[in-house]
Amino acid sequence: MSRGKKFAALTLLSFIVLVIVGAKFSGHQGDATGTRTGSLSDYLNASGSPDAKDVPISQVGINQLASEAGHLRVSINFTWLLMTGFLVLFMQVGFAFLVTGLTRAKNAGHMMMMNLTSFAVALLAYFAVGFALQFGGIAPVANLGGIAPLNGLTPHGNWGLIGTHGFFLQSAHGYDVGVMALFLFQVVFMETAGYIIIGAIAERVSFAAFLLAEVVMGALIYPIFGMWVWGGGFLAHLGQSYNWGHGAVDFAGSGVVHATGGWAALAMAVVLGPRLGKFNRDGTPNAFPGHNLGYVVIGTLVLVFGWMGFNPGSTFGATDLRISVVAVNTLLAGCCGTVTALAWTNAKWGKPDISMTCNGMLAGLVAITAPCAFVAPWAACVIGIVAGLVVCYGVWFFDHVAHVDDPCGAVSVHGLCGAWGVLSVGIFADGTYGDGWNGVSGPVKGLIYGDGGQLLAQVAEVVVGFAWAFGLFYVIFKLAKNFMAIRVSEAAEIEGLDVPEFGAHCYPDFVLVSHEIRGDHDNGDSYALSGDGHGSSTQVP
Amino acid sequence: MNHLITAIIKPHKLDDVKDAVRAAGVLGLTVSEIRGFGRQGGKTETYRGTEYTVDFLPKVRIDILVEDHEADKIVDVIASSARTGKIGDGKIWITPVLRTVRIRTGELDSDAL
Repeated sequence: MSRGKKFAALTLLSFIVLVIVGAKFSGHQGDATGTRTGSLSDYLNASGSPDAKDVPISQVGINQLASEAGHLRVSINFTWLLMTGFLVLFMQVGFAFLVTGLTRAKNAGHMMMMNLTSFAVALLAYFAVGFALQFGGIAPVANLGGIAPLNGLTPHGNWGLIGTHGFFLQSAHGYDVGVMALFLFQVVFMETAGYIIIGAIAERVSFAAFLLAEVVMGALIYPIFGMWVWGGGFLAHLGQSYNWGHGAVDFAGSGVVHATGGWAALAMAVVLGPRLGKFNRDGTPNAFPGHNLGYVVIGTLVLVFGWMGFNPGSTFGATDLRISVVAVNTLLAGCCGTVTALAWTNAKWGKPDISMTCNGMLAGLVAITAPCAFVAPWAACVIGIVAGLVVCYGVWFFDHVAHVDDPCGAVSVHGLCGAWGVLSVGIFADGTYGDGWNGVSGPVKGLIYGDGGQLLAQVAEVVVGFAWAFGLFYVIFKLAKNFMAIRVSEAAEIEGLDVPEFGAHCYPDFVLVSHEIRGDHDNGDSYALSGDGHGSSTQVP
Repeated sequence: MNHLITAIIKPHKLDDVKDAVRAAGVLGLTVSEIRGFGRQGGKTETYRGTEYTVDFLPKVRIDILVEDHEADKIVDVIASSARTGKIGDGKIWITPVLRTVRIRTGELDSDAL
């Protein structure tokens, strides 16, 4: 057996052993059936009434009624959380269409396979380790009946770094309906950060390196940063420790999800280097047109639909009627981003660019993800318009100035617009929502409503997020480069990755015309690509 | 003796050409989707902010076998039905054919059309 096989077998074996050990020794003292989750106290706590102990014993009948109501309240929130989680899960379909359409036909199978396996591999990593690191210390969550088992915060107080309960969804009584509901909703968010990377590393990354990226993302990079903002960590507590507004406020994850994915994508794109022939010797880029703009548009629209779960679901409950504001703000920003990119490309190049218009829509959605619950509709429009401009200049910047090859614009859409979204909370939050957010009383207010401290906390999230996701991904893949092939061979890249990596063409019934590349990306006249569309694969029946 | 008429035309003119040559008495033709360039040498477009040249533009190639005395008339029919007056209308040429055989019956030359 080769070293690689031994390593894989050992990993699998220890995974199974840990699951069994967890099942044997964790005990099932969480609420695994759901009958004890949601009671009178939930009704009283969540509706702002006095504590249960203040209610006279003579009111037993009313207590039973209220207990039913409390259970119902939590049930409605569970339903909302799970349904919106399923919508977010569907975004995986949109992303698969989007990135496959934006790349060449000869790599389509590879693109689809990455989208499929990113889901499974990252989910298992998150199940084993990531979820506990991120949310192991988040309890209580009132909307979901408390989630009592998840109360392992390390270190305690304002400087939390990791959670410690819920490894394998079993440790510390993690086998609990509330924990499972939270897991489902959070794992699909992690998946989003995981598959964002694909857009920037497409058409040259080796499958093995990609799987490593997904494990690292699902087990460490995403959960730990997510903990700092969402799991009771130090960024969330900047309001209490430094008086910076409410601490880092990131409603549905412009920073936690999108910027993390975008910065990790940037790090990997830099370490991998550009695709063969992408840049000429003088640094000017060549276009590699995507093979199916229909896929790109379908994918974008599927993503918009999924975003209706991504943002409104992040209230963790349908009993919070702010969900309608969140949903409408999300659509407004997405459409403003679309129109901005459409107008900008039309003004700049004479015709609206289809794929850039799609990127504009996603840019608006990414940017509004953090502020969607805290801003007025007019501000959502402004945030979307700025995001549309950021993505257009971002794609131009990485192509023409930074010379980082990002086939699908992942870094511009998710990294830059994610950062913009986080900052925009600190500017536009209008003080109508978020009373008590991160343990700070009063609603969340941005700079123009008089709270400059909030903007400081947002800047802190952006800076820490970039250093963490970009820094660690860069280091990990610089090291990985020494003992594994993180990039496919030149021959495989020219032929297309489908057959060298998976032994099957995505489109076997067509002749894929691979264009010869004279010279290569390091030396020689790599601009001299023969064939149409400079290296695009065209199908000839 | 038969002649082979080969025409390279704009793809969207295919139906017009087909109807016109049918009306002129042609019994069959062969169509292929092809790509190529002429004096214009392709054209430039912008994709995500980067210019690229489409060197080979899509065209349709039509092959028609006709009796030699029909050839000039059919060429005129094709030319008038395929013409748009703009760059890239295409070309037509005629080649003499040494032998034509109908596979099913073994008939030869003009009987094989």
